[in-house]
Amino acid sequence: MDERDLINRVRAGDGIAERALYDAHVDRVYRLAYRLAGDDALAQDFTQETFIRAFEKLDTFRGDSALSTWLHAITTTVVLNGLRKVKRFHKREADLEAADGVTGGPRQAEPDLKVRLRQAIDALPQGYRTVFVMHDIEGFTHEEIGVALGVETGTSKAQLSRARAKLRESLADFAGEWVT
Amino acid sequence: MMFDHDEDKFAEWLQHAAKTYHDPRPTPRDEMWTRIEAGRAARRVIALRPWARWTLAAAAVLVLGIGIGRWTAQQRNGGPAGTPVASADTANRDLLYQVAATQYLSRTETFLTGFRADLRAGRADTRFPGQARDLLTTTRLLLDSPAADDPRMRGLLEDLELVLVQISQLPAARQRHDTDLITQGMDQRSVLPKLRSAIPAGPVPVRTQGAT
Repeated sequence: MDERDLINRVRAGDGIAERALYDAHVDRVYRLAYRLAGDDALAQDFTQETFIRAFEKLDTFRGDSALSTWLHAITTTVVLNGLRKVKRFHKREADLEAADGVTGGPRQAEPDLKVRLRQAIDALPQGYRTVFVMHDIEGFTHEEIGVALGVETGTSKAQLSRARAKLRESLADFAGEWVT
Repeated sequence: MMFDHDEDKFAEWLQHAAKTYHDPRPTPRDEMWTRIEAGRAARRVIALRPWARWTLAAAAVLVLGIGIGRWTAQQRNGGPAGTPVASADTANRDLLYQVAATQYLSRTETFLTGFRADLRAGRADTRFPGQARDLLTTTRLLLDSPAADDPRMRGLLEDLELVLVQISQLPAARQRHDTDLITQGMDQRSVLPKLRSAIPAGPVPVRTQGAT
C-alpha cells in the first residue's frame, strides 16, 4: 500500500492501517531508542510514547519529508527528553550511594575492547553520541539526522567527526586493532 | 595523507566494532502494540469525557492552589481574586476540584506510607510496582498541567515522580539495597512531610487557597 494512502486511512480511524503503519516503522524506532537508551524497558517506553504521539499528531504531518523522517524526529525528541530525566534519576542514586559510601574506588582500567568501547561511547557528550549512534551504528544519513535533531547537515557532520576523534583518543591503546 | 588514511581506517573499524554497542534484542512488537493501544485508549477517555477532563484540570488547579496556599506565605492572605479556584463559579466545579485533588494526593500519601510500612516490616508486596505505575500516570499528567507552573509544586511532583519510578521498577526479587535507595531518597527530600503538608487537613470538603 502507498504510504500516503496508509496515512489517510489512519487519519480516518482505520485500526488495521494503524497497525500496518506501526509494523512498517517500529523496528527502526525501537532500535534507535534502544541504541540510545541502552535499556530494554526504557526503549520500549520511548517507542510506545513515540507512536502514541505520532498517532495523535498525524494530522499535522504535512508530507514535506518521509514519514520515517518525521517519526525519527519524534523518536529522538522523546528519547533525549526521557534520558535527561533518567540522568537526573541516576545522579540522585549516585549521590545517595556516595553519601552512603556504597561505591568503591575509582574504576579499574577495562582490558576488554567491547566494554571499553561502550564506556567510551557512553562518555561522549550527548550531541556527539546521538549523531554517532544514528550515523555510524544505525546508518542514518546526515540529512536524516539533521531533520530528526533539528540541526544543519554540516553540524551533524562536524559532531560525528568530533565524536570519532574523541573515541580514537579514548581507545588509543587499542590502536593495533585498526592500524594493521 | 597518511593521517587521512588512518582516519578512514579507524572510521571503518569503529563502524564495525560499534555494532555491539547497545545491541537491541528482536523488537517486542505485539507487547508494545498492546500497551500503545491501552495508552491511546486511556488518553482518548480523558479527551472525550468532559467530566474526566474537568477532573484532571480541577486536580491540577487545586494542587496548584493548595501548593501556593501551603508554601507561599505572601499569598496566603492574598484573597480569592488572584486564585484559579476562587474564580470557579459553580459549586459542582469546586466539588470536582476538591475530590480530584484530594484523591490524588491522599492516594499517593497512603501508598507511600504503606510502602514504607511494608519495608519496615520486612514484607514485599508485589502489587506496589503496579500501583506506582498507576500513580505515575497521574503525576505526569499533573506535571504537564498548569499545576507544575509553580516551582515548589513542580519540585514536589518531580520528587514524587522519581520515587514512583523507582518503586515501579523494583524487581520481583528485590534487594535490600534497592529499597534502601528509595527510602533514603524519600527521607533526604522530605517527600512524605511535603506531601502531607500539601494535603488539606481533615476530610472533604477541602479548604482551598482563597476559600473562606
